Formats: sequence, C-alpha cells, structure tokens
Amino acid sequence: MAATDRIIVLPGDTIDPAVIPTPRRNAIRLGPGLRHVQATNSIVPTVAGQLITDHGKGSMWVESSTGHYIPAISDLVIGQITRSQGDYYLVNLSPYTPNATLPHLSFEAATKKTRPQLNPGALVYARVTLANRHMDPELECVSQTTGKGDGLGPLTGGMVFDVSLGMARRLLLSKPREYGGVAVLELLADEGLAFETAVGRNGKVWVGSDKSEANTRMVIAVGRALRETDERGLDVEAQKKLVRRIMKELSR
Amino acid sequence: MTATTAPEAKLQVLPRADGSAKFSSAGYTVIGSVNGPIEAQRRDEHAYEAHVDVIVRPAAGVGGTRERHLESILQSSLAQLILVKNFPRHLIQIVLQVEETPENDYANAKLVQASLNFPILPALLQTAVLALLSASVPMRATATASFVAVLSQDGTNKVVVDPPPRDIETARSVHVLAFTSHDELLLAESEGDFTVKEWDDVYDTAKRICCQSGGAKTGIEMELDDAGDNGLDMRRFLRSAVETKVEADLHWK
Repeated sequence: MAATDRIIVLPGDTIDPAVIPTPRRNAIRLGPGLRHVQATNSIVPTVAGQLITDHGKGSMWVESSTGHYIPAISDLVIGQITRSQGDYYLVNLSPYTPNATLPHLSFEAATKKTRPQLNPGALVYARVTLANRHMDPELECVSQTTGKGDGLGPLTGGMVFDVSLGMARRLLLSKPREYGGVAVLELLADEGLAFETAVGRNGKVWVGSDKSEANTRMVIAVGRALRETDERGLDVEAQKKLVRRIMKELSR
Repeated sequence: MTATTAPEAKLQVLPRADGSAKFSSAGYTVIGSVNGPIEAQRRDEHAYEAHVDVIVRPAAGVGGTRERHLESILQSSLAQLILVKNFPRHLIQIVLQVEETPENDYANAKLVQASLNFPILPALLQTAVLALLSASVPMRATATASFVAVLSQDGTNKVVVDPPPRDIETARSVHVLAFTSHDELLLAESEGDFTVKEWDDVYDTAKRICCQSGGAKTGIEMELDDAGDNGLDMRRFLRSAVETKVEADLHWK
C-alpha cells in the first residue's frame, strides 16, 4: 500500500462514510480499535493507528502495534502456568494482569488419568475461548470440534522472547515475509539452523530446539534476531544483513 | 529560554512501559508513562469501571499537596476520555515526571505551596494524552489544552497565550482550558479577578488554539490560519506527532 492512501485515525475521529464497507448480505464486522456508538449510529475509532477496510469481507479495523495485551476470542497466546487450582491451571498472559484459566482436561487426548502435569513456570501454547470484560479469560489447548491439539499444548525446552504486539501480529500473518515484512526466521532457516517457533498474540515468541550447548546458543541468537528486527524496525534488506552477521558470530 | 517555544513531542520514549511520551512546550518538559489495563489493587478496584491512577512527580523533591491537587484535576479529566467502562476491575496507571520548568524549582518553590500551579497543567495533560495514545488505551476522544492569561498593560486588559513566567506573576487572572476533539470543554480552571466578558475572550482564544479543524484543512486554509493569531494549533500538532509514530510503527504495511 502506498503511503499516500493511508488513513491514520485518532480516537474520536469521524470516519468518512465512503470508506466504510457495505457488505450486501452480512452485517459489517468491526475489528479491534473501533466501536459503534448507538446514539449517533456511527463507527468511531478508539485507538490511534491505520484504518484498514476490507470491502470483500465487509470488515474494518484499526491496525496499531503498541500497548498492553487485551485478550480477544480465538487469539493464540503463550502463557506461563502460575499454579494449579481445582480443575484448572492459572495461566499468566502478560505482566500485572489477572490470571487466565486453563481447564486440566482441555489438552489433546487428556483424561483424568492421562492429563499433562504442568508445574508452575511451565509454558503452554493456547487459544483464548472466553474474553469478557467482566470475567477472567479462559484458554484451551485442544480444538473443541476435532479434539486435536493442532500444535497447541505444553511447550517444552526452548526459550520465550518478548516482542511488541505489532511484531507478534506480523509473525502470525499467513505469509510473514510478503505481508508482514519479517523474513528473519526464513533467512535463518535457509542458513541451515533447525529450530521451531510458536508465536503468541500477547507479544511472546517461543523458540525451541533439542537440548545441547550449540542449540542453546542458536535459540538465543534467533530470539535476539527477532527482538532486534522488532526494536529497530528493520526492513527485509537489513534483516538479511543481520542474519549474515549472526551466522558469522555463530560459526565462531 | 523563551516562553513561546513551539511544542515538541516524542512518543514511545521508554522501552519498558506500555506507552510513553515526552512533551515540551512553553519551557516545560514532561515525560509521561502509561501502563494498563493492568490488575488493580483490591482497594482501588471498581466493579464497573477502570481506575485511572495519575501520579505527578515534580522536577525537584518529592510531590506534596500541590501535586496531589494537580493529580486530582488530571484524574477526573482523563477518566472522561478513557473508555473506563471497557475495563472493569482494572487499573490504568499514568505517571508524569516533570523534567524541566521555566522557573528554578529548587528556589522558593514551597512558598507558593497553597496555590495551584497553573502554567504546568496543559503540559501535564498533553503529555498524558500523548502517552495514552502511545499505549493504545481505548479512548472516547483526544484532548488538547492551553494556558491563557489576562494581563493588564497600560490600563487595558490583554489576553495572552503562554506568557513568560514574569508576566504570569503580575497577571490579573490565569486560565487553563482543555477541549476534547469533539470541541467539548473538558477542563476549565481559573484564578484571579476577571469579568464574564474577559472569560468569554479567554474561552474564544483557548478554543481557537485547541479546536482548529486539524488535518482536514486544505493548503490555502492552513496558510490563512498561520497568518492570524500566533499560528498555534494544538490539534494539528497532536495529530502530526501521533501520525509520525504510527507510520514508523507500520513501516511494513
């Protein structure tokens, strides 16, 4: 998208009715950063960011990349187990927020006898199933319809790195390189590094690998590369340079 | 330092806070940080809305009664802007650290402890709004603030925007007004002797600074605005500061 046709909105701005999509069949879908004011029957932004409209799907939202994580339904998140209470694990999603709950039995193929035993500090990759302003969020590590884990569940080994919410969102796009401008993971994998990643919408990236000294070095290098890409706002060319530098340092 | 320096702002200056901003105007520099929505302490918890906590820290020494008073004014204004009902039982913490003031804060600061520190109020409010925008805290609208004094010169009264500290001491009355981006009056604090007519003049001046139509203007209108008054347009300033930040954040888009 060219810089000229960007619409940057501030809270309380009036949105030009011409840009609001008018889907023929379904109702319009509002994403994060927008609210519908019933009194004036208008759509008003609540955060500062770029207004994105999708006329095909009849949806619109405000793209912003900073702030504290606010849970939303069907977000994929990385949480840390605080403790177990009754039939639930209490999971921390972001600092200084109330714990989310994760039922003991919402893991793949879990029964009362064969459920994963997670200790405080363990990491889980989970989906948000309940996000309501009056209640603490609820999580699951299994798909309700298929009963499969689909990659969700406890994360063993590896390390978690904090990134901005915008970076997490870019990494979660279907093609991070084309749509999000993040090529650093692909480039590192092309150099022959073997690692896994899991990205949480709450601004956390888990990088995992088999346990050995060389792999620990690699995991830290991958995590630092991601953070550097995020903090310094590197474009794809700069990311290539960064990867070359990291490979040189790792081979030492 | 001249009192009529153009306002400057930078967003996301602190790496650990959810949102932060540095704002300087009329000789004042304030750094603000915002964290939230986070878990509120039991005693601050409200069942239906978020608790907005404002902390003002002076440039020198620890905060006293004056700071508590500023905090209470800012708290009630900002709670109007933030969509507090969206985050029941949560806390939105705003810390405002004064970095620089036109007067020397180390000398005789405590003598005027009882009175409200008017000229700093717009800078504090503006910093808080910028930091809230930087933290993507859902808000109803943005706000802009201005400081206006009525000076008596050669027997006539003159409405002056952001006067130097010496003029503030001799001013007949001083006023702080803030407006939301919907042109509603958000905050009005006044001190001194003034007539209704004077207050109306002050209101009009402040409204002109705070509520120009901002980014929606075409080139020729902008030039006309700059020619009149002193060209100060807080709303356009706020928008351009935020736009710069958003564009830098979304460089990949």
